[in-house]
Amino acid sequence: MIGLECHVQLDTYSKLFCSCPTKPETEEPNSACCEICLGMPGSKPVLNKKALDYALKVALALNCKINEKFFFSRKTYFYPDMSKNFQITQYEIPIGSQGFIELSSGKKICIRRVHLEEDPAALVHESGLLSSSYCLVNYNRSGIPLIEIVTEPDMASPQEAREFLDQLTMILSYLDVFDFENGTLKADCNLSVVGNERAEIKNVTGKRNVEKALEFEAKRQLELVKQGKQIVRETRGFDEKNLSTKSLRKKETEEDYGYIFEGDLVAFELTKKKIDAIRKSLPELHSDKAKRLAKEFGISEYDAKVISGSKFLSDLFEEFAKASSAKTANFFVSGVFVSIAHYENKEPEEMAPRLNVSQLKELLALFEQNRINEKALKEAAIAHITKGKNPLDFIKENCLFKEASSGEVEKIVEKVLSANPKAVADLKAGNEKSLNFLVGLAMRESKGKAEPREIKRIIEEKTK
Amino acid sequence: MKTQSVSEFAAQAKTGNIDLEENTHKILDKILKAENCNFFNSVSKDLALHQARELKAKIKAGKQVGRLFGVPVSVKDCICVKGVESRAGSKILEGYFPTFDATVVLKAKAEGAIIIGKTSQDEFGFGTFSTNTGLGFKAPRNPLDSERSCGGSSGGSAGITAFADFTHVSIAESTGGSIACPASFCGVAGFTPTYGLVSRFGLIDYANSLDKIGSMGKTVADSALLLETISGHDEKDSTSLNEKISFSPEASAKGMKIGVIKEFFGEGINPDVSKIAWASIKKLEKSGAKIREISLPLNAKYAIPAYYLIAMAESSTNLAKYCGMRYGAHENLSGSFNEYFSKVRSNNFGEEAKRRILLGTFARMSGFRDAYYLRAMKARTKLINEFKLAFKEFDVLVNPTMPVIAPKFFEIEKLSPIEQYAMDLCTVPSNIAGLPHISINAGFSQKMPVGIMLTAGHLKEQILFKVASVLEESQ
Ligand SMILES: [Zn+2]
Repeated sequence: MIGLECHVQLDTYSKLFCSCPTKPETEEPNSACCEICLGMPGSKPVLNKKALDYALKVALALNCKINEKFFFSRKTYFYPDMSKNFQITQYEIPIGSQGFIELSSGKKICIRRVHLEEDPAALVHESGLLSSSYCLVNYNRSGIPLIEIVTEPDMASPQEAREFLDQLTMILSYLDVFDFENGTLKADCNLSVVGNERAEIKNVTGKRNVEKALEFEAKRQLELVKQGKQIVRETRGFDEKNLSTKSLRKKETEEDYGYIFEGDLVAFELTKKKIDAIRKSLPELHSDKAKRLAKEFGISEYDAKVISGSKFLSDLFEEFAKASSAKTANFFVSGVFVSIAHYENKEPEEMAPRLNVSQLKELLALFEQNRINEKALKEAAIAHITKGKNPLDFIKENCLFKEASSGEVEKIVEKVLSANPKAVADLKAGNEKSLNFLVGLAMRESKGKAEPREIKRIIEEKTK
Repeated sequence: MKTQSVSEFAAQAKTGNIDLEENTHKILDKILKAENCNFFNSVSKDLALHQARELKAKIKAGKQVGRLFGVPVSVKDCICVKGVESRAGSKILEGYFPTFDATVVLKAKAEGAIIIGKTSQDEFGFGTFSTNTGLGFKAPRNPLDSERSCGGSSGGSAGITAFADFTHVSIAESTGGSIACPASFCGVAGFTPTYGLVSRFGLIDYANSLDKIGSMGKTVADSALLLETISGHDEKDSTSLNEKISFSPEASAKGMKIGVIKEFFGEGINPDVSKIAWASIKKLEKSGAKIREISLPLNAKYAIPAYYLIAMAESSTNLAKYCGMRYGAHENLSGSFNEYFSKVRSNNFGEEAKRRILLGTFARMSGFRDAYYLRAMKARTKLINEFKLAFKEFDVLVNPTMPVIAPKFFEIEKLSPIEQYAMDLCTVPSNIAGLPHISINAGFSQKMPVGIMLTAGHLKEQILFKVASVLEESQ
């Protein structure tokens, strides 16, 4: 049985309780903080209404019941990343509860609660976690809004957990509340073999790592059970390098955070009107979108699902489809772009900053006009995405236009062949030298524009 | 000689008849000469003189505005003043110079106030006599008898207000009675507003759901004027109300229904104190008020335990942030962060602060949380409801502010913590309910002042002003 506690940073402009930017202009540590997110004596938090709206959107999109009255609490524990040594979070009554996400199999994963809280500062161990004798604290992260999404232990396998997270990130991308490029998604993963104690893997970053951590942990626990050994209740950490989990501390009792109400914030009351307005503002989510794309653009259901897997992809698709055709856009987005992202081990959204949409539109136009082939399109796209190359320049520099590679070169070769019957005869008789001679002539004829390999291929074809 | 009232002084100062720089110099000298009275934790001489010069320039430019124009104002140490060491009476905040002004300070400055310094208090407000001082701090001495306490926790504010032979008001703070108590012991007017009427932004917290910034002055009018200028909505404090107080000067108790809280005139109250309070009540009756006794059995029995549980639970979280990392007292870096935090906290918190951290943490731990913290929160609702019922029948409730006159320091030393907490019997109920109240002098016993406390319903500060003015005039 697997249950997840996911922490997602919300992509608001300012922090949860102050007006500091969540994305400062410089990387300079501690440049984006104030008396509030530093927890200076005398400062007071004021709730960022945008963050509340975002959290409500997520809770509604996850089919949660919205608690019209809710409040914040202080969760107290001493740690150097905590500016006040307590975190402002929600305890008794979260914003949303009793929601679910439906997997493709139709199975519902229940969501116990969705609540809003502040991110602690970032700790920097300059020479590694274990070998550093000190650590530095960067408060730029302190106070960034987080939502915590807690599931019931409803997932039966690491694969289901992964699908849950895929669905969750899909929803987040549609709601446009998560910054896939800079934001982080972390999860505490609880896993147990039925009838045994559970172990918690703390603070795993990213969907892939969650899946890997759970795979390792499931194997470890099943092995222990098979050997008749006991599984101890503990907190474990995930080692991203070895893809393994290791014990951090035994956990005999629940941690005691001594929750009390946050007296600096008032209890909030949402009106039905406000909740309805947010519900109405929710965009078309992926399942509806997939159906619409298949119908509207005549692409296969499978491709429509892939494309509507993220808002970013589907927006990209719709934009390209308008500029060229649905077929071309589909080929590029679901065929080319997704596989490049996959190869790079990245979410499609993370690749967004590397795309120059207008340049790509030009590239797709060439394909649409049948001036380049699929292979050229792919190569140009790879060069663009991985090396930042202008795809048009790439096509030109590598002479990937169809006319240059087949039409014109073919004419030149024919001309050279008919003018040199002896060399052709020698070549047919097996004289390699005459091949080089003919290639040289053709190169001269094309004024160096044609590619020797291409010429060679055509000569060989014609002299078979 | 009677000192000028705040409004008279401000009007005079605006004409240029008072040299504000000279006046401020004179006052600072007096404060420094009275150093052994321990009214101040720090004197903001540079800031005060700078402000005085700025105000002089304003007069020259014909831009002299503000209801506190040139008025010397002291500020309780727990309220942040930009660039002035603000320690809330604790060694652990040594070297904390806030980068911002508390909203009340900003408002007072905007009205032309001259900030003269930070007044002494119990460490973080944890006390009734200003004797629970932080390490290295001294308790303020009562200006009427230096062997006696000023009361607490705003002891320094009350002390300097009573001591001053010049126009002056003080911004004080009350969590469970910290304005009324010292006002009573020093014989000045102490105004505690409805919770939320005055912004807490910039207040170094004791217990967030109970803390209220208020005012002290020699007279009801002085304290009311200061309260008026610092009140009002503040978007930096989420609990601040969308209300502003403005007093109309009026002294009348005619037709006022006044409830005498029976429980606060009986057992545990010094008979002399009781007698003096009753004499004041009779004066109100003469002025046309209708007097009747009322019983508040729940408040009499449960207000103190509920208050101390909530206050300690909240303060134990507020004090968590002090660990020698970002500001305040530091120690040599060594050991793990846990060892370091413990060292800083062991070496720099006073005894009462440590007691409250331990008790407060205990009260909110799982297993005890339901029995203590949550139960106290529920009790609080019932206590508030008892008051609400009472205010259906009465305009004002009255009781002696403190059960005794200002005790001598050696007497305080003999009290156990529980006996000390019990001294707040009469002030805690209005405070836990967030109700506005005022303490003014009602007379003297053994040459020491006896205070009487008036409480009104939420946002009914004007009623307090009217009734308290009647008592003041009859003095
Ligand atoms: Zn900030």
